[in-house]
Amino acid sequence: MSEALAGYGLVKKYGSATALAGVDVAVRARESLAIMGPSGSGKSTLLHVLAGVIRPDEGRVMLGEERIDRLGENRLSALRRDRFGFVFQSGQLLPELPAEENVALPLMLSGSRRREAVIRARRWFGPLGLDGLERRRPGQLSGGQAQRVAIARALVVEPDVVFADEPTGALDQATGEEVIRLLTTVTGSLGAALVMVTHDAGVAAHCDRIVQVRDGLIAGRRQSAVAPTRNGAAS
Amino acid sequence: MNSIALTWKLARTGGRRGWQGQLLAAAAAAISVLILLLLLAVYLGAGTRGDHAAWRTPSPDPRGTAVQALSTTFVRGTPVTVVQLAQLPDRPATAPPPGLTDFSQPGEVYLSPALAALIRELPAGQLAGRFPRPASYHTIGRAGLASPDELIAVIGRTPADPAISSLPESDAGLGLTARAVVSGFARTAANPGSLFAFDQTGALMAVGLLVVPVLVLAAASGRLGAARREQRLAGLRLAGATPRQILAMTGAEAFAVGAAGAMAGAAAYGLLLPLVARVPYGVGAWYPGDLWVGPAYLIAMIVLIAGVIAVSAMSALRRVAMAPLGVARQADPQRTRTARLVVFLVAAGYIGVRASQGNLGIGGTLTLMLLCYGAYLTLGPWVVDRLGRIIGRFARRPAMLLAARRLSDDPRGAWRTVSGLVLAGFVAGFCSVAQLGAIGASYPGQVAVQVTPAEGGQTVEDLAAQARDRLRAAGLIATVQADPDDSLLWDSGIVAQITGGPAEIDTALTVLTGLVPGVAPYTQDLGNADITMTVRQLGQVGFAALLLGFLTAATSAGLTAAATVLDRRRTYRLLRLAGTPLALLNRARTWETAVPLVILAGGTTALGVFAATRLNSMVGTGQSTNAGRLAACVLVGAVAMFAAIGASRPLLRAVTADPVRADD
Repeated sequence: MSEALAGYGLVKKYGSATALAGVDVAVRARESLAIMGPSGSGKSTLLHVLAGVIRPDEGRVMLGEERIDRLGENRLSALRRDRFGFVFQSGQLLPELPAEENVALPLMLSGSRRREAVIRARRWFGPLGLDGLERRRPGQLSGGQAQRVAIARALVVEPDVVFADEPTGALDQATGEEVIRLLTTVTGSLGAALVMVTHDAGVAAHCDRIVQVRDGLIAGRRQSAVAPTRNGAAS
Repeated sequence: MNSIALTWKLARTGGRRGWQGQLLAAAAAAISVLILLLLLAVYLGAGTRGDHAAWRTPSPDPRGTAVQALSTTFVRGTPVTVVQLAQLPDRPATAPPPGLTDFSQPGEVYLSPALAALIRELPAGQLAGRFPRPASYHTIGRAGLASPDELIAVIGRTPADPAISSLPESDAGLGLTARAVVSGFARTAANPGSLFAFDQTGALMAVGLLVVPVLVLAAASGRLGAARREQRLAGLRLAGATPRQILAMTGAEAFAVGAAGAMAGAAAYGLLLPLVARVPYGVGAWYPGDLWVGPAYLIAMIVLIAGVIAVSAMSALRRVAMAPLGVARQADPQRTRTARLVVFLVAAGYIGVRASQGNLGIGGTLTLMLLCYGAYLTLGPWVVDRLGRIIGRFARRPAMLLAARRLSDDPRGAWRTVSGLVLAGFVAGFCSVAQLGAIGASYPGQVAVQVTPAEGGQTVEDLAAQARDRLRAAGLIATVQADPDDSLLWDSGIVAQITGGPAEIDTALTVLTGLVPGVAPYTQDLGNADITMTVRQLGQVGFAALLLGFLTAATSAGLTAAATVLDRRRTYRLLRLAGTPLALLNRARTWETAVPLVILAGGTTALGVFAATRLNSMVGTGQSTNAGRLAACVLVGAVAMFAAIGASRPLLRAVTADPVRADD
């Protein structure tokens, strides 16, 4: 299977500090990749470079056959909207929008009609265990529920790649486990790749592969010991 | 003390952005204090100058020492207050009135500087001839004057002079004519005379219109500062500061910034005082000293505004200081109660019933106007909430949907942002259409001389003939009638219909003076004097409220927009990172102010226009939509508002530009 997303020889410097010192990394469709590392290791920079948020100083980022690290800002913005999904630690949901409209927002941004966008958004509530919460606002949801809404929003555009940045950072362990299991299985069932930054080994263990980043370099790669079974069925 | 020292240290190390935020907050505090001080100055100044004017109305004392007679004549339509004084024989000498060096002796004339200038400027046949003409005039000093523009003459007489003795003792409440035996002039009257009747009321109206928008502005500046501070304080909290300490530090810093800005505003008030004093209000411009509020009020205003800013900053920060992870958990959105609608409908019903009854008088009309404002203030948040829900149901574009949801999420906040302009819209709508100047009796070109039966000997017809001779001699074209059917006359007398403009009217007033000894001829200006003055002041108050309302509303809309960007920078940044176009966020932010602004301010402007047309038809004058001025007001208001909101675009760009910044 070809790579959904790949970075080759990625270098990124901030002034004299080197965040990435030549990193090669790739993830296939349906595959999940955890990026681990201590604070300041460059793992977040790596995620942002792969997601087209930051331009690398050297190296290439390939989304399928397309080189994306030299695209213009508007083009990249559209790419992030339509072909990537993002799940962050917290604060990504608009507090005044009901859950279903938060999920529908990316579709509306891409030009879908509102009615259609909301109908498509609602389909994600069942599989993510959010039935009955469609009209709740983020403030009325628990932390785990809010993260599942965020996952629905990341997946609703049926992206090629989902990026998750410490998605369980604000949750207790049991809730975090639950959220991460949903994130990996649902992403996989959609046929998308998952790239996740975490410092939690327990969370990383749910991914197919783990890379360790240290001082801007890949310090280790391994298959996850407890990689979950992926059913592989594209939705 | 410790936390204050720490606060200062943190404020100094806050960096360039920190200072910019402080500067903005301070500027808003300065504007707030400046406007409040100006309002207070006009209110207090109106009282002070009323005291300066009080001596002209006689205060009866049967055992008094002199006769004082007040009358009013008009030149070019402007009232001239005439005070005639006569020392009673065999009584102790009377102390001179304020502003006069001596008690005026028979034949002496004291003039206010403005009247003296006018007498030099106009031909004697138009003005000077109405008064005795001594070899030289004395000047009334500042102590006896309410305004440098006032037209006043003080004339010395003998008690038997018909100019005094034939004047009526009162004019049925009009307050422009009065006669009494007095013992002196030292008084601070509750009623300074009908030309000043609306001075303080008008100032109070301006206060009522502007005080809420000004406090909203101060509060917005507090919020802005708090959003700037949040990041540093979140760090402090992690370092172990208690929420109480953080609140104290925030309060101290916001108070200090607010007080610094407020002091600058107070200084600006001091510097602008001579300029502001030149702005006419009522009888004319001000003596700068009358507009000086004194150090106690100055300090009180500074403390008030700094306090509002500090409280607003602390309440804005409370969430952050209390929530463990700095995540603002929003509870259920505020709901506005339908009770607001009920209150509004009751008030509107009452207003409708009262207005349809007519005969409200100035006081009644004002009360109703204030009730209108109150009703609107009550209704505003409810309307914003409904607007948000309705638009939220039908919105198709994401920017509109975001704006609608914001409106129903925090209707009170959205209302606060636009309430200033909504009120200003009402004033603009009302003032640009109301033909208030035409209220009252309308007998243009008529000059009347009242003849009471006591003037026996001559018939009214004889007097009419004499009047014709006098007018012809003065070169005027006039028709003189004795006891005409529909005229200015309240009683018996003659009426001359003058052909020509103000100069001819003034000539007629002058030549007919003394036709009947001691009886002053008058025009429609006399009966309308109090209404004309009130209307003029309403216009001045309306215009000032409009101008200052725009200033505060636009400033606070801009500050609120900036504070909102800072409050929500994390969400905005993550949205942008996920590919949301910046333009969309800006569009949504503009909509969320524009929608309530257009609908509510547009609504109140229309209401103002409607109220004014009703008033016009009630008093039977024609409708004149001063469309140009209204359009200009609306345009200026809208441009100012959107410029203010647009000013936070670079801020949004800046806070979202670096999506990879660590959480703050």
